[in-house]
Amino acid sequence: MSEIVEQSLQSNGWTNRADELFQQHRQEIYRKTDQLFAWLMAFQWVAAIMIAMIISPRTWVGQSSYVHTHIWASIFIGGAISLFPIWMTRAWPGSALTRHIIAVAQMLMSVLLIDLTGGRIETHFHVFGSLVILSFYRDWRVLISATIVVYLDHFLRGIYWPYSVYGVLSASPWRSVEHAGWVIFEDVFLVISCLRSIREMRFVANRTAALESSEQNFRQIFEEAPIGMAVVGLDSHYAWVNATLCSMVGYSEEELTSRTPSEITHLDDIDMDKQLTQHLLSETTRTCVEKRYLRKDGEIIWATRTACLMRDENGRPRHYLAMVEDITQRKKDAVALEEAKNEAERANRAKDKFLAALSHELRTPLTPVLMSAAALEKEPGIKPELRRQFGMMRRNVELEARLIDDLLDLTRVSHGKLQLLVSGPIDVHSLLAHSEQIVRSDARKKSLALHLELTANEHHVAGDAARINQVFWNLLKNAIKFTPAGGQITVWTANPTQGQFVLTVSDNGIGIDQETLPFVFRAFEQGDVRGLQPCSGLGLGLSISKAIVELHGGTIRAESAGRGRGAVFTVELGTVLPFPEAQIQASQPPRFGDVSYRLLVVEDHEPTLAVLTRLLRCQGHEVMPAATVQRALTLAADHTFDFVISDLGLPDGNGIDLMMQLSNDYGLRGIALTGYGMAEDLAKTEQAGFLAHLVKPINFDQLHRVLEQCN
Amino acid sequence: MEYSLLQIGPRLRSFSVQPRRKETLLVTTLLGIAWTAGVAFGLRTILSYESKPGKIGAVPSKWPATSQIERLTNRPTLIMLAHPRCPCTRASVAELGQIMARLQGKVYAYVLFLHPAQSNAGWEDTGLQRSAAAIPGVAVRSDVDGVEARRFGAETSGHTLLFDRDGRLLFSGGITEFRGHAGDNTGERAIESLVNGQAPARTATSVFGCALANRSQKEDRALCQK
Repeated sequence: MSEIVEQSLQSNGWTNRADELFQQHRQEIYRKTDQLFAWLMAFQWVAAIMIAMIISPRTWVGQSSYVHTHIWASIFIGGAISLFPIWMTRAWPGSALTRHIIAVAQMLMSVLLIDLTGGRIETHFHVFGSLVILSFYRDWRVLISATIVVYLDHFLRGIYWPYSVYGVLSASPWRSVEHAGWVIFEDVFLVISCLRSIREMRFVANRTAALESSEQNFRQIFEEAPIGMAVVGLDSHYAWVNATLCSMVGYSEEELTSRTPSEITHLDDIDMDKQLTQHLLSETTRTCVEKRYLRKDGEIIWATRTACLMRDENGRPRHYLAMVEDITQRKKDAVALEEAKNEAERANRAKDKFLAALSHELRTPLTPVLMSAAALEKEPGIKPELRRQFGMMRRNVELEARLIDDLLDLTRVSHGKLQLLVSGPIDVHSLLAHSEQIVRSDARKKSLALHLELTANEHHVAGDAARINQVFWNLLKNAIKFTPAGGQITVWTANPTQGQFVLTVSDNGIGIDQETLPFVFRAFEQGDVRGLQPCSGLGLGLSISKAIVELHGGTIRAESAGRGRGAVFTVELGTVLPFPEAQIQASQPPRFGDVSYRLLVVEDHEPTLAVLTRLLRCQGHEVMPAATVQRALTLAADHTFDFVISDLGLPDGNGIDLMMQLSNDYGLRGIALTGYGMAEDLAKTEQAGFLAHLVKPINFDQLHRVLEQCN
Repeated sequence: MEYSLLQIGPRLRSFSVQPRRKETLLVTTLLGIAWTAGVAFGLRTILSYESKPGKIGAVPSKWPATSQIERLTNRPTLIMLAHPRCPCTRASVAELGQIMARLQGKVYAYVLFLHPAQSNAGWEDTGLQRSAAAIPGVAVRSDVDGVEARRFGAETSGHTLLFDRDGRLLFSGGITEFRGHAGDNTGERAIESLVNGQAPARTATSVFGCALANRSQKEDRALCQK
């Protein structure tokens, strides 16, 4: 253990302090033992006189007597022996010379006492007792001085007064060695004891130095901690506080230690503080709370105060330890951040509102055009040239609607609000065939060969059919767009493994260079489109497609061997089992034209209302148009309807409230037909009781399919 | 400037003193010298004093015919003349006790304590007298005005004489060899040898004790100095 402490001390550079403590301790022992001997010397002197007075008070000459020589010897020789060492303990306390003079004097006192008692053997024990007392110095060297005196005393008296020491008239010189030998015999063990004591003292010094070092480290940590620290006594007064806390609350250390935490706590937080203190005393080991302090200058600061109860070794509460961190700035920052966040959210809501309004305003005028063009394109008996013109009108309106949809979708993707309307299993092959039909005319115009190789046996996936179709349509439109005239486009499906559906759309078009390839799925990225029409898209399709595929749990990737070497887009989706054939047949709605409905159409855009009314009536439905909420309510009160087809933004109200009222009053079912296509709008219409939400512009087929489904 | 009083070990830094204590150091040195000399002189004086024997008078070679003490004829008789208040004679009485114990009745002993005729009552009633009386085979008698002491030529307390059964003096002297110090000694061994019929190393030794006869302190010290 001592070695470990030594190593620790050396590694910490505290050996000097340990040495200093050792020397201090040793010096203290020297001084205290000096004092002991000062008293002992005086006592021995008095004792010697008393002994002389008792044993040999007077010398007799016949009948007369006079003071015995021993009396004078005890007074003067005893005084001479004692006084000088006593003076040394005053003049040179703790010095080695004092110790050695005391050792010599103590042995000389033994000589005197032995002589005064007539050489009694019992008095010789004074020598051995003195050696033991001298070992109190824990300095073995004084034993050497004492032993030398003993030896010289015996040696000299053995020569000049042998009887006084050995009881014989002549003694061998070795007799003094023999006597000294017994003294040395005792010395050996006393020296061992001294050395052990020195080792223990050094060990204690090392331990003390280590403790001091540790205490100093902890005190430094406490004093210089970057957070406020305080020790609070059970009397609720600060016992110790560090500089950081003083600086935090603006009080000096003296001021703070004369106060209680409650005195510098905000009034509203005092009760909470007291409750937490009670919790600490009862069972809670630690409390952490945000509270307010009152600075000396009256300013309020926020702080996180962590406190615990320190207990002694018997588990009794001793004091509290509190750590206080100033979080005023953090609080201010949090408030500012919250305000900024609220501001951003307000701006975001304003933007969404604007986008919704923009979408509505942009879509609404397109609706009558699209519906009219689509209807007229299918009108039998018109000239082919006129049919092509109507077709051109329809496609361009659809393209315009698609661009608006893409912008809205991109907004949804960026906000993570793109949602799927998941229905039953979707036949991907059917969707591909439908998409192929849509783009076939475009392909034909560019003399592109469009091949479908639908080899996948498992071709049903779970998801939103419209969105999946949107992906396919994007991929096909891209392939047509970036493949020069005379090129070839191949759509291929397969099942690499059971449950996995892979679709590739490959072309031999302009391809994608390696620098652009990693960014093709980023919004507004179209790569180098030189040689193409400048208005050939916004570059949003792939970005939206990627988001849609990933929402379906699939992946989409692009590959290209480089510029002019075509491109391959691959979509991977998980398959599901299709519905049984019988169920499909049973769930198929009645064919268009087989059913006639009583419809209430509410639309404030006059052209749209007119076209919609006309087309629905042409299909055999009984239609009542209304341009306002009030008109709609009047018609509903006067007539019976199967469905209401309503816009949301109306001059005297909104379609949401209208639907709720019609549903409550007449049990009427409805379809929302609106330019508002944001996720929030869809949620609102669903909540209001609309069975479907159609976003303008729509073509008439789309409306018809929804009517079939709603029925 | 530092002064080193004593260099025993490298760590004993307490020896170094400041210049302001220079005078103390000088006083210490002078006192140390005086102390050494004084103590040595004192011890030498006391030891010299204690090694000085007392006066011995004219010791008769035969048992004094005028003595009132009864001499035994069947065994040797030992006579010790003692001062009842002499502190040094304690050692002599103690040695007498040793002798009597070792000789086991082979000798009969008297201790004659000085009893001045004009002394107060209880003059002899001392611890020394009681110690002597407690020794088996020892008879304690009073020696009024030291008459018997003068008959036996004893002038110093503790003077011991051994006479054979025919009254011839065998030994004269002290049975301690240092003032007031008990212990093995020549006189003791001589007495034991003589009683046991052996030849002693010496038949006379010095006597250490107080003076039995009245004389001045100056005379007494002068006698001791001789």
